[in-house]
Order: sequence, then C-alpha cells, then structure tokens
Amino acid sequence: MDSTESFPVRKSVPWRTLDTEALVVDVKGGLLYPLNSVGARIWDLCDGARSVDEIVGVLAAEFAAAETTIRSDAIEFIERLADAKLVSIERRRRGESR
Amino acid sequence: MAERTPRIEVAGFVFGVAGLAAEGRAWVEGRYRPFLSRRAPTFGVHVRASERYRPGRTPRPSVTWNDGCFALASHPSRADGDLTRRRVAFRAGPGPALNPDLFRLLCSFLLMQKGGVLLHASAVVDRGRAWVFSGPSGSGKTTIAGLADDRPVLNDETIALRPSARGWEACATPFYGSGGPAMARVNERAPLRGLCFLRKADRFAHRRLSPSETVSRAFPEVMLPKRDARVTERLLTTLARLAADVPAWELAFAPDTAIWSYLDGLD
Repeated sequence: MDSTESFPVRKSVPWRTLDTEALVVDVKGGLLYPLNSVGARIWDLCDGARSVDEIVGVLAAEFAAAETTIRSDAIEFIERLADAKLVSIERRRRGESR
Repeated sequence: MAERTPRIEVAGFVFGVAGLAAEGRAWVEGRYRPFLSRRAPTFGVHVRASERYRPGRTPRPSVTWNDGCFALASHPSRADGDLTRRRVAFRAGPGPALNPDLFRLLCSFLLMQKGGVLLHASAVVDRGRAWVFSGPSGSGKTTIAGLADDRPVLNDETIALRPSARGWEACATPFYGSGGPAMARVNERAPLRGLCFLRKADRFAHRRLSPSETVSRAFPEVMLPKRDARVTERLLTTLARLAADVPAWELAFAPDTAIWSYLDGLD
C-alpha cells in the first residue's frame, strides 16, 4: 500500500462509538466487529479526506508509541478492514479532489 | 356464527389470529395456551395456507422493512405486514398453523419497533426482579432455568426485553428451548435486575462488562436476521441504550442452586 496516495473510506455501514470503542456491523455477513480505542480512532479517521500517511501522523500525535510501530499496525489494520469490505481504498495523488 | 379467533399476548402485544381452520385453531390454542389472552388485539395476524412446499435449499430467515411495510421469511413460511394498519398476512407452509419460528420473528421485529429486543436467553425472577442469562446454545441457559426451584421461569430460550416507564422489563415468551413447554408455562414480566452472559465452569466467577462488551455479547444473541442495514442500525441503538441502563456480567457458573446467593453479591 502506498501510504501517501491511499485514502481509506469507511463504507456506509451501521456503527456506534461506545466509551472509546467502536462497534461496526458487517451487514452482508450479519456480524458485529468490536474495535478497541486505537481501532476506533483509525475507523473514525477513515473518512476519505486523509491518506494513510496522514492517519499515521494523527495517531502518532495522540498515542505514545513509535511511529514505525504505529505505521505498520495502522496499515495492517486498514488492510484487514478493506478485506472485510468495511472500508474501500481510494488511490489518488495528494491534493486531487475525490 | 362468527369465527373464534385466538388471541395471543407476548410482551405486551396482543395478536388476534384469524383465518385458521378448526384443526389449526385447536393446535394454536394448545401450543400457546399460557399466552392466550382476553384483551383486545393490538395486531392482526391473518393465516393463509397458501405457501406451497418447495424442495431445495432452506433459505436463511430474513427481515426486510421499508417505511410502514415489512416482510419476514422463516422457511417454509412467509409473512407480509403493514405497521400502520397493524396487520400481517402469514403464508403458512406445511407444518404448524402458526409457525413458531415465523411468529417469533414477527414478535422480534415488532419489539424492535418499540425499542426492545428478543434475546436468545433464559430468565428467572428472584424476589420480583428478573435475571436474564444469555449465550449461545450449550452455554447453560436451560441449566440455570432448571435451578430456579420455586422462582418463576420466564423462559429457557427466548426472552423479550423492553423499555417501560419504570425501566427495562423482562417478559416471558412462548418460544421455549430444550426445556420444553414446561419452560413457557407463565406469561409474566418483571423489572430487569441484570444481564449475565454465560460460560459453564466448575465454580462461580464473574466479570462486569463494559457497555461496548455488553453490546458485542448481546448482538449475536438477538433473534433477528442482521443483514438489513435499517434493522442493524435500530438494533445498535437499542442495545447501546440497554447497555447504558442495565448492569451486565460475564458469568461462569457451576450447576448449583447456590447461584442465587452468588448473584446477590454481584456489584
């Protein structure tokens, strides 16, 4: 995944934030995905306006962990969300409109 | 002479069941006897034996809902309903005149409209308040119901939870599990004391669940197909409210009547 040109976008699925966690429903599978606080923050940031690079930057500012760790974890998590068809990945150059 | 229409009351809904032949009416009155009611119907069910037998793969139960109209399917029966006119047409297939699976789906759908849920759970009333025990098959719902002694059992398999002016209530249903009809002998309701998600063990243990854990545990146990976005959206709202209002625990338990004193100590 090219983290500067990949823009994750949440699919239009039912979801809720409770406490600091998120609950996301895969309607096609009829399943509920509970996300911990870091997962919930990534989910929230997958709004199509931020690249993966920018999401990593936000997380690095908010969580006390090495940026390299955050980057690999975030990319892996976003790829899992994409595999579950809960997010789509839009590819475009920085500054290009959606 | 006017047709006698059985009335069945579940979780505050009174269903007037019309269109039954004498044999079907007798079956319905026997199957749902503790839940027969004299109150005025709030929802009309018209049964038509028009669904033909179709060999093949059993389709999944389904709920679709569009504005005031809804459609339910639970093989081999289907139902089409109108929320505004408060009526539903059952197309019964071979088998029971009022297919319990489809009737349960109808109750679950209507309960959802009222901000409640039909949960895969047993419930026992202890000193006027209901403990609800949920979990997948084999987790111990019927086992706990069997430990009730003289405490009323609301059901061993299916419990209706609905909000009221006094808080959440647990309501009996006629949809019993492996404990058989003995587990659906009373049509009572009681204020909800707490929700326990079960795990069988050789000793008692518990852990308080956070609201998000409660929703995660309850979601798969709600007796509704969850492949309709509007249904799951509504369901998340209801479960979040339930989790905020009612304490919930993960409960490991041994099959021992000491469970009732153990539950007293939950904080």
